[in-house]
Amino acid sequence: MIRSASQCSTTLERTMNERASLTISDGCATILLRRSEARNALDCDTIDALRRCIDAATVECNTKRGIVRSLVLAGEGKSFCAGMDLKGVLHDPVRMGDMLRGLSSALLALRRLPVPTIARVQGAAVGGGCGLAVVCDFAITHPEAKLGYPEVDLGVCPAVVAPWLVRRIGAGPARAMLLAGGTMGGDEAAARGLVTRCVPATELDAEVAALAARLATGGAEALACTKRMLNELDGSLDEKIAAEAAELSARVIAGPEAQASLTRLFAPKPQGGPAGAGNPAR
Amino acid sequence: MTTDHQPQIISQRAGRLLTITLNDPARRNALGVALFDQLENALEAAAATNADDAPSVIVLAAHGSAFCAGFDLEACVQDTALLPTFVDRLGRLTARIRALPAVVIAQVQGAALAGGCALVMSCDIVHAAADATFGYPVHRIGVSPAVNVPVLLATAGGGGARRIALSGELISARLAESLCMVQRVHADERALQGAVADLAESLCAKSPHALRATKAWLNQVDGTDPSGPLGSAAARAAQATIDACRTDESRRMLESFWQQRRSRP
Repeated sequence: MIRSASQCSTTLERTMNERASLTISDGCATILLRRSEARNALDCDTIDALRRCIDAATVECNTKRGIVRSLVLAGEGKSFCAGMDLKGVLHDPVRMGDMLRGLSSALLALRRLPVPTIARVQGAAVGGGCGLAVVCDFAITHPEAKLGYPEVDLGVCPAVVAPWLVRRIGAGPARAMLLAGGTMGGDEAAARGLVTRCVPATELDAEVAALAARLATGGAEALACTKRMLNELDGSLDEKIAAEAAELSARVIAGPEAQASLTRLFAPKPQGGPAGAGNPAR
Repeated sequence: MTTDHQPQIISQRAGRLLTITLNDPARRNALGVALFDQLENALEAAAATNADDAPSVIVLAAHGSAFCAGFDLEACVQDTALLPTFVDRLGRLTARIRALPAVVIAQVQGAALAGGCALVMSCDIVHAAADATFGYPVHRIGVSPAVNVPVLLATAGGGGARRIALSGELISARLAESLCMVQRVHADERALQGAVADLAESLCAKSPHALRATKAWLNQVDGTDPSGPLGSAAARAAQATIDACRTDESRRMLESFWQQRRSRP
């Protein structure tokens, strides 16, 4: 199938549904999480929508080889992604398991994309949200952003995101980060290798655009080959680990410790919390 | 403007120390047929010496303002069959350096790019002058640095390797140091030479057997031994890269890159 250059330069808008969208413009695909009212927290529908966008992007990359050159993962509103939204599924182990399996498999699909991926991280990227940023080949954030893995603080096990963090920053530093819990600012995230670069918030878009533009100047086949090599070598394509991680995480959330702490977290607050306050990974 | 009469590699032996110097400063020590031939011969000679006489330390240095600017692209444009052979030779050369029983120190000033960066990364210890730059700006000519990715992954870790190998950005000696690609940065070339000489001298004073065993064990533990997982992956990567070099995309990009460079004032 041959496509002419004029077809490629037109913007292709493809809205998957309300929760996430895929846009392709000037050789750069963008997946936008669109649940800003909950700081793009990942519930079942958002994970499904994200997965459909990733699959559609994969098809676009494969059928338009050399035309789609990079992919930006971004979140609408003030925050990139506040993590897993466990509120609705807390007492439903079956749906909980589905959700974690869905996320784990979406992360794998994101890593498999044949083009370099860039996470545009504003506001917050915590828990599963930080997981999304870390799976991308590049992540750019700003100093005021909050990133990290506070899972253990809530009695939850960050099993799904752990292999990706180990691949990014190495086993020793990942151990310290995941076991200590908590979150960190953008500068510290850059210093600890969680993100590629931390720039002033006003320059975030320009930095992402510049990186995407730079990536577009490379040979598409050469980049795909390099990325395949990296994925093969660092164990990124290990489906067994990804599947086991989802089961382990689901088991821990179903246990009494996590149930008690999450129930406390989700309990209605006397003053009435802000929208999206029910996200465990804050 | 070939300089075939002058040796492109100078090997100097002093006791247990062997210094191998890239010597084609006019072409920024670009890796061409002659330089590959002579570098391979120099390493062959070092490995062929029997264990008692073998050098226990090798310093890989370069004359001129650049350590090594990568492949001789002018030659590749003139003869399109060359690029895949260069990738093949670079893969073998870097595997050979990693497998050498001697500890190899890279002494880097100026640019160490693409194939030049691959040479440096295959060394055990890297010292650089503050003006040194590193990187793999090879996607722009349709080539993948995949052959060097395994050792880069072992050196810089996953995040750093993805950043360097996918973006093609040129990074400073300081940033390379923070990514663990360089062990020490020196203010200028003179300080660099002094520090490398001191290091080489202190290594030469150590038990050659212990050094050899330690290097071999490190290669085994981090998987970069040619028979280890990263080493064998590098061999597969070389083949994939060679295939990519033979595509029209690669030829077209190389030609247009060369045209642009030539048209620069």
